[in-house]
Amino acid sequence: MLSDDQLQELFDGVLHVLEYTGLEVQHKKARKILKKAGAWVDGDRVRIPAYLVKDALAKAPRSFTIFARDGNPENDIHIGPGRAHFGPGPTPPNFIDIETLERRPYVRSDSEIVATVCDALPNIDFCESLGTISDVHDELAASYEFATMFPKTSKPIVAWSFGKDDAEDIHKIAIAEAGGQDAFEKRPNYVHYCEPLSPLVSTVEALDKLIFCAKHRVPVIFTPCPLAGGTAPITAAGIITQAAAESWMGLVIAQTLRPGLPFFMGGVLSVMDMSAMILAYGAPELSLMMAGHTELAHFAGLPLWQTGGCTDSKTLDEQAALEGSLSVYFSALSGGDLCHDVGYTESGMTGSILQTVMMDEAIGYSRRITRGIEVTEETLAVDVIHDVGPNGHYLREQHTRDHYKTEFWYPNLCDRRNFEEWQEMGSTTMRDRVIARTHDIMATHQPTPIKPETEQAIEAVLAAAEERVKE
Amino acid sequence: MSEILSELATAVIEGNSDDAIDLTEDALDDGLEPQNILDNGLMPGMDHVGVEFRAGNMFVPEVLRSARAMQSAMDVLKPLLVEGGVEMAGKILLGTVKGDMHDIGKNLVGMMCEGAGFEVKDMGKNIAPEDFVTAVKEFNPDIVGMSALLTTTMRSMGHTIKALQEAGLRDQVKVMIGGAPVTQSFADKIGADGYASNAASAVDLAKQFAGV
Amino acid sequence: MSRLYERLSTAVLEGDAEKSPKLVQRALDNGLGPKEILDNGLVPGMNEVGVRFKRGDMFVPEVLMSADAMKEGLELLRPYLAAAGAKLIGKIVMGTVKGDLHDIGKNLVGMMCEGAGFEVINLGFNVEPEKFVEAIKEHQPDIVGMSALLTTTMRSMGYAIKAIEEAGLRDQVKIMIGGAPVDAPFADRIGADGYGSNGPAGADLAKQFVGA
Repeated sequence: MLSDDQLQELFDGVLHVLEYTGLEVQHKKARKILKKAGAWVDGDRVRIPAYLVKDALAKAPRSFTIFARDGNPENDIHIGPGRAHFGPGPTPPNFIDIETLERRPYVRSDSEIVATVCDALPNIDFCESLGTISDVHDELAASYEFATMFPKTSKPIVAWSFGKDDAEDIHKIAIAEAGGQDAFEKRPNYVHYCEPLSPLVSTVEALDKLIFCAKHRVPVIFTPCPLAGGTAPITAAGIITQAAAESWMGLVIAQTLRPGLPFFMGGVLSVMDMSAMILAYGAPELSLMMAGHTELAHFAGLPLWQTGGCTDSKTLDEQAALEGSLSVYFSALSGGDLCHDVGYTESGMTGSILQTVMMDEAIGYSRRITRGIEVTEETLAVDVIHDVGPNGHYLREQHTRDHYKTEFWYPNLCDRRNFEEWQEMGSTTMRDRVIARTHDIMATHQPTPIKPETEQAIEAVLAAAEERVKE
Repeated sequence: MSEILSELATAVIEGNSDDAIDLTEDALDDGLEPQNILDNGLMPGMDHVGVEFRAGNMFVPEVLRSARAMQSAMDVLKPLLVEGGVEMAGKILLGTVKGDMHDIGKNLVGMMCEGAGFEVKDMGKNIAPEDFVTAVKEFNPDIVGMSALLTTTMRSMGHTIKALQEAGLRDQVKVMIGGAPVTQSFADKIGADGYASNAASAVDLAKQFAGV
Repeated sequence: MSRLYERLSTAVLEGDAEKSPKLVQRALDNGLGPKEILDNGLVPGMNEVGVRFKRGDMFVPEVLMSADAMKEGLELLRPYLAAAGAKLIGKIVMGTVKGDLHDIGKNLVGMMCEGAGFEVINLGFNVEPEKFVEAIKEHQPDIVGMSALLTTTMRSMGYAIKAIEEAGLRDQVKIMIGGAPVDAPFADRIGADGYGSNGPAGADLAKQFVGA
């Protein structure tokens, strides 16, 4: 999409912002780390010379693996050029109940549903909660979330926490399963998510978590959520530049503390709708800005935390299908490395696993297209064309038999039966089939269990966490 | 209505601050009462903006420009209104609560309330309950507005209301709250007087509280 | 002995056209009756294929491989069945009607009917009504199948049926029709005995006609 010259201009723009404007870094220890590394610190304001940023970029890996907790290689995530992975997003306050289909506050049992369904869906690669648990102590929502999801999926979880206490809770559970800190460092089985503030602020909480991740070698995402026209420039190039600067402040700190730490450049870039006054999750600008952001990340040699499969619709309807599918398709095309928020509805206010299930189909569809056309002697098939000749057919050809499973994508939810059969099967709509598939997964899917020692670790971690918040 | 007042309304609608000031001065020179200028020039303009915004015909940047025009005119009128013993729309104290660093929504509410004729004191973000208490004592507002973006910082709103109660200040202010995760039932639970789902409805709520 | 039947069913299900005649031979060598081999070995395998295809667990190329396996086994069995006086499932004459050059759908139905144990005589495409009449006289089929892909050639089906009637052959055959634009009301209108909406439905209909 962007030319090399345009990318160079964006890249230079980010370095300019970091060197001449700088960010407010609210974390004292982080300022100390940055100063020692060679940054210019003036009160809370930190400016970073370009060479330091380039240094950090050189240290950060472009390709690495996040491992499935149970050793199932099919659930490993290989980050690297040309690979887009998909999963839900964190922390909406509400959830669409999969039985009543009503919007209500997100509760602990929803984490179990989300993890189980993500584990079963063929095109979902990682798991996130789609909500903040409301029926446990406020400060323990993230700890309970991870403890509830971890046993229900072997796909890597992108974890989220309020601060370092619950980051530690999460890490204890993950390393119990991995077989200790050393084993975890070799085969990390989750990713942690930190969110700085736009415009241009690195908060204490975000940096507490980042420093924790660097210390324990947890692959980390550092992602602001700027609003074009509100908390960032209204132009696509402007918001990309600012968001990259916000993310790269985290990069410099992380790579200074722990050279080689797997780091995802972040930024959920969207518009502040000037009429509805919301952060639009179904806007074409989101897909466009995120594609530009992805290209900049790849230009700089970093993987990107992408966004897609989300909608501003309040329910599972045509708007949800349209906005979600188009953004999934665009994400797949741009190749952002971990594409999250698959299942966000109502502008990120409500999580819906039903939306995730519907988007699983859109991801499969998109992946067939991005897989492209293979041209080899075998696929050219001139011999087969010759053998079949005029008026023949290919149904019985070995060539057909060899390729029909891989050359075609077969839908799980989209109905292609003829009218009579569709009628016979109950004249179902997409919405009916999404709900039925979700119920079917919950009734039948069995995720790989965690180790007994991890079960004990979860119990101990939650008991200690409850003690902690009593005070 | 005199022509100059309808021109003033137009200046507000178009967000033209310079014209709004000039026309206000002209109206005063013509001998119109400040209260008359406010009620029949500025207010109808701002009301029109509200209607157009809701209908989707005006956008946030335009509304803010109108609010600024309104405010510029009010800077001229206010001393005269106060002199004449006229009751102002009211004073609002605003802040994003403790632990929360997000303030774009609260800023928007502040700007729109100013446009509606309120005097707004914006305390900024990460405001602790005791700081709200101190500010209420100092500034004497009619309304306290609180905002939070995070489910985790929402409960600070409850703590702030409690602190106002304990300081004996709860009865002299109306409390309104807002922010993405906030709902009416949450407002009821923590004992706020009202909740607004966006900036435009926050202005309506404030006006309702002030009886204008 | 049920193990041999089971292996034969599996060979059909897996579309192993080499193994199925071998297993039929082995069953005959072991003294099993040809009718039993058909009913307990080949047919249950093919029935399972139908179930799986309908459920979406098997795809057309796999079904055709199974049909091949069935056909190979049956070919070997046929003389024994005839000798034992067992009735074969039936004979079908089929063709794409006059003016229509599309025959992939008709071929699919043909292959699936073969898989279901029918003897199928395929007349090809662009088949004139009188060709159908001649073929009925020559082959004495139980069923005539006609296909058309175009709305413009559909009516050729009606002409073919009329020709069969005029030749006095209508009562000795069941006529089934199919093709993308064809539906049940059309079949009724032109006096066909039935309509199949796709390949497997065509095979099911044929089985129903012969009471298999």
